Amino acid sequence: MLNNETLELHKFMQTRRTLFCYSGPLSEDLLTSISNPVRQQLSDVDSTDVVAKRVFGVFVEQAQNIIRYATLRSPETGDGVGTIAISQTDEEGFLIEAVNAIDSNKRTALENTLLELSMKDAGELRKMYKERLRSGPPEGSKGAGLGFIEMARRVQRFEFEVTDTEEGPVFVYRGYVS
Amino acid sequence: MQQPATQRTPLIEISEIHCRMVGECYPENIQEFSSPVMTELNKVVPISGEYTVDLELFYFNSSSAKFFFDFFEFFEEKAENGLAVKVNWNYRADDDTMLEAGEDFAEDLERCTFELKEVPMESSSS
Repeated sequence: MLNNETLELHKFMQTRRTLFCYSGPLSEDLLTSISNPVRQQLSDVDSTDVVAKRVFGVFVEQAQNIIRYATLRSPETGDGVGTIAISQTDEEGFLIEAVNAIDSNKRTALENTLLELSMKDAGELRKMYKERLRSGPPEGSKGAGLGFIEMARRVQRFEFEVTDTEEGPVFVYRGYVS
Repeated sequence: MQQPATQRTPLIEISEIHCRMVGECYPENIQEFSSPVMTELNKVVPISGEYTVDLELFYFNSSSAKFFFDFFEFFEEKAENGLAVKVNWNYRADDDTMLEAGEDFAEDLERCTFELKEVPMESSSS
């Protein structure tokens, strides 16, 4: 066997039905470059335009979270480092996943925000999005502070977790779109 | 102002009587995208008379939502001061996301006339 890990990686991705996966420094330039292949993959598999657009929308917000907020940065470019993937599932359509290191000071606020969002229904999320749009971004936000609300509106459901590692807390987000 | 669509930004046309945007909007840098548009609008949109805004967006990200919010606020203010503003929000059939977005923007516009228009899937006109 040349290298067992390589074959395992291949098998793992295939079994998981992963259409796209990237792990490393992420920039807006890179997001531009990968947008078309990601969309191509989505239209190649059996998905309606509406679902493909929702998946892509969640993917963009996740990517921009990594670009803006990942605390692990590339020493060469300063770009945020993270992992982002889109896979197909048997029962729940597409799974869009993102992982990145976060600031331990922001951990509680992030967990509270997502917990709150996970308990809202579509109407409440829509209202929240509008209110945030009117009030402007919260302190510390580099975007409009709307990203997680936007994602919550596009997914059927999402899961999140902050896990402790030797390098600090790591944020895991999983959103299902069907 | 005439700006062709790019992979991440819509086609933009701005004149003294008409503003049109067609396509997707998730710019690499929202400030770099929005500043010239708002500057141009401030420059050319008249005080009185009639003005038409035609939008056909397929997708915009959360950072761009703030831009569209400001964009409509600009026209609402113009309408309050005497410009007859007609907004056509074109959304593709089955696109609930863009329909909802249009409805939500419309809710804040009292002086502008706002029309939600369903267009066929492959349309790229207004």
